[in-house]
Amino acid sequence: MSIPLDDDQIEIIQEFATESRDMIEQLEPAIIELGQNSDSEILNAIFRLFHSMKGSAGFLEFDHMTRVAHAAENLLDLIRNGEVELVPNHVTLLCAACDFAKEALDMVESDYNDDAMVAPADAISEQLHQAIEVATDQEEPQVEPAPDAHSPAPQSDAEQLTDDFPGIEITDEMRLSFVQEGNELLQSTEQGLLAWGEHPENNDSIGEIFRNIHSFKGNCGFFGFSDIEKLSHQMENILDRVKSGSKLAVENPADQLLASLDILQRAVNNIADNKGEEIENLDDHLNDLQTLIAPLLGDYLVEEGVQQDAIFHAVETQKKPVGEILVEQGTASAEQVNSALQKQQHKIEQTKATAKPASRTKTPAKRQDIRVELGKLDSLINLIGELVIAENMLIHNPDLKGLELENFGKAGQHMSKLVRELQEMAMTIRMIPVSGLFRRMIRLVHDISVKAGKKVDLVLIGEDTEMDKTVIETITDPLVHLLRNSLDHGLEPPDERLAAGKSEKGTVKLSARHEEGEVWVTIEDDGRGLNKEKILEKAISKGLIEGDGSDMTDKQINNLIFAPGFSTAAQITDISGRGVGMDVVKKNLEKIKGKIDVSSTPGQGSKIVLRIPLTLAIIDGMIVRVGTATCIVPTLSMLEAFRPEMNQITITPDGDELAKVRDNFLPIVRLHDILGKTPDSKNLSDGILIVLEYQETRFCLFIDEILGQQQTVIKGLSDFIGNVPGVSGCTILGDGGVCLILDVGTLVDSAENKKNKYENTRDAI
Amino acid sequence: MAENTTMTNIENEDTQKDKYLTFHLAGEDYGIEIQYVIEIIGIQNITDVPDMPAFIRGVINLRGKVVPIMDVRARFGIKNRDYDDRTCIIVVNIDSTEVGLVVDEVSEVADIPEKNVEPAPRTSKNHGDSYIQGMGKINNDVKILLDVHKLLFSGEMQELVETSEE
Repeated sequence: MSIPLDDDQIEIIQEFATESRDMIEQLEPAIIELGQNSDSEILNAIFRLFHSMKGSAGFLEFDHMTRVAHAAENLLDLIRNGEVELVPNHVTLLCAACDFAKEALDMVESDYNDDAMVAPADAISEQLHQAIEVATDQEEPQVEPAPDAHSPAPQSDAEQLTDDFPGIEITDEMRLSFVQEGNELLQSTEQGLLAWGEHPENNDSIGEIFRNIHSFKGNCGFFGFSDIEKLSHQMENILDRVKSGSKLAVENPADQLLASLDILQRAVNNIADNKGEEIENLDDHLNDLQTLIAPLLGDYLVEEGVQQDAIFHAVETQKKPVGEILVEQGTASAEQVNSALQKQQHKIEQTKATAKPASRTKTPAKRQDIRVELGKLDSLINLIGELVIAENMLIHNPDLKGLELENFGKAGQHMSKLVRELQEMAMTIRMIPVSGLFRRMIRLVHDISVKAGKKVDLVLIGEDTEMDKTVIETITDPLVHLLRNSLDHGLEPPDERLAAGKSEKGTVKLSARHEEGEVWVTIEDDGRGLNKEKILEKAISKGLIEGDGSDMTDKQINNLIFAPGFSTAAQITDISGRGVGMDVVKKNLEKIKGKIDVSSTPGQGSKIVLRIPLTLAIIDGMIVRVGTATCIVPTLSMLEAFRPEMNQITITPDGDELAKVRDNFLPIVRLHDILGKTPDSKNLSDGILIVLEYQETRFCLFIDEILGQQQTVIKGLSDFIGNVPGVSGCTILGDGGVCLILDVGTLVDSAENKKNKYENTRDAI
Repeated sequence: MAENTTMTNIENEDTQKDKYLTFHLAGEDYGIEIQYVIEIIGIQNITDVPDMPAFIRGVINLRGKVVPIMDVRARFGIKNRDYDDRTCIIVVNIDSTEVGLVVDEVSEVADIPEKNVEPAPRTSKNHGDSYIQGMGKINNDVKILLDVHKLLFSGEMQELVETSEE
């Protein structure tokens, strides 16, 4: 666009970019799915993506984007009509179109035009056209007429949709998304109209109102809601006139338009309630709107028997009122003009009379989302945490001791309940499901598998696991790297797999789940696994380790892949292998205090677990006491608790203690030793043993007593202190004190050492 | 009171110059630059953290923030003394790390212009000197001005931070 942009236009463009990006993100996985099963619903959804992108881009004059979206739309239309059969190449092309669109959107956001995208746009639309030609030639011997190069009017497009697919099955999900989107569009239209109504001289907002109504109309057409489509089309017509500067019958049609908007809103609400989309008295509403369009003088003049040519001529040279010119030229008599003028005047007054009283009825607002700065949320959550503590201090205030305060007690209980609810609500605000992150990987896996010529099945598990938003953002890049590695280095090409007696198609499992107060994101493949010899060889040649590595454990060897500058791929491919990935993965994870575990079985695949602490999540914890200290043990890793009998305890010659729990000997870890505290009694039978489990290893923790159970917010210990062995974080208790949360993972290490020693000595005996 | 002074000073860098928060510790007067001081609170219940150097007493909850507490006596190797109601925690902030410093008693905010600050004496063999930024003179009194950065991070603390980063 050559004209300088004002803030409003920039805002529209930015909104367009965000919206389109969201849509692309949503639909990319769908496109990949298309390759597997061409479901008509998915097809329609994708069609709609390109269709609305085309519309919006066209409106904003991003011609190159329009071109590409149009070509993609054409291809999809043919596929949808069954005229072209979907081939994998189409999926790749559509993905390329998405990529192009993303790039163009970046461009648009920074430069507000897409002029620089000429070459890629040409290339992609050319490819799409070719694909259409090839496909139509093959499929249809009688040669389907190539789709019109000019984009068909949106109206006819929408109609075509309903006409061609009377039987589209509209699922509840689709309907809901229509309703939600419709509500948003109508609401922003309403705001636009209200603003415009107050400042009719400011025509900038019309463009946005027009665009909203246009998209809304498109959606209605797609779903076959013909009544609302007609009404919104009429509104669009009026707005179009306003936009092009034509005169309307009334000075400000905003009120009338708002009334129509209310009707649309009601219809959408009806659709939401599954009551059908019919609008009562549709024709009346349409006529009401029609009257808004200023009657053209010419029409009346023709009625009066004036030559049309003459009128056109007059209009062209129009400087004076049309009537005067006509009279001067002698093509119309003064009476004719007067009569025409009177009719026009009369009509205008009539419209004003009918248009004014159009009353606006309020419709109930529907669900709305707002975007909030994360910092604000954090301080809200902190404040609520403080509130919980303050509430506890108030209710258990020592001043109240011994007083009979029945009403105070009731009020206090009520308040506790509210505060608890508030706290729970606050906890969930920051959490979002990982599904968004996982779904993005579908595209990645598809691309890589095509590039690398491997067949891959991506299995997603635990998509609804919720994680902190910032955490999800931090692990996006690591996940991409790890998946790339799995596909590029891990999975074998199909022939190699067949030779190894595996199915041709490799499987990559991506899963997320909660495990002992952490979220574990696991990437598992059934490829060739890590090659220890190769890793060692490489590490030695790069000088990453000293010696020949023969004294290293498998775990240590596997961890070498995270060393900076390490890459084992014999050849550097364009997918992975530059040796920068894995250490970045590790660094990113360390930022959020996460850990990586790698395990691998040669020939059977490898498994990488990202263990991410829930910095802001809640865990269920058991509060335990040892001497004067209290600690929290994650309930998830607790199996049972019991008061041991002396005959259950075995003491090894080394002085290590083991407890016999049913048929197992479990090592005992004394919490007071770890914390450096004095317990009530060092005698095991005076305290309590808690059986804890961590990754299939069990041990007993010796404590004085269990105080209770509580849901707690995990807070990191200060950076100043760093990582403390045995402690994973801390929380703030009801009395305002800080309470440490035990890290079962590091406790198990000390327990394991004991057990190994015991078993070794027993073997020796 | 001290908190208010800090608040207004934050708005104007210049007014913080040459101002020190002074406190008593084992019969001596010390001072730290006011720009690092966030607030002063009374002694409160400190939660022990295992495997810490002796001078890290543990952590406290400061309005939802977990703040580690350093006992300055223990840091200097001065004999411990029971905390009483004059014992204060000075919360300082360096590079967005907040740490609470336990001192015997907070006295006042003092103005010590640069010309009244002598360099730290080098003669002493006591390792505590490494935290000293200079000696400030106010009339006949001498305040030992501490380098907050060194106080927090040098020596054992340095190692602790390094090991946790590995």
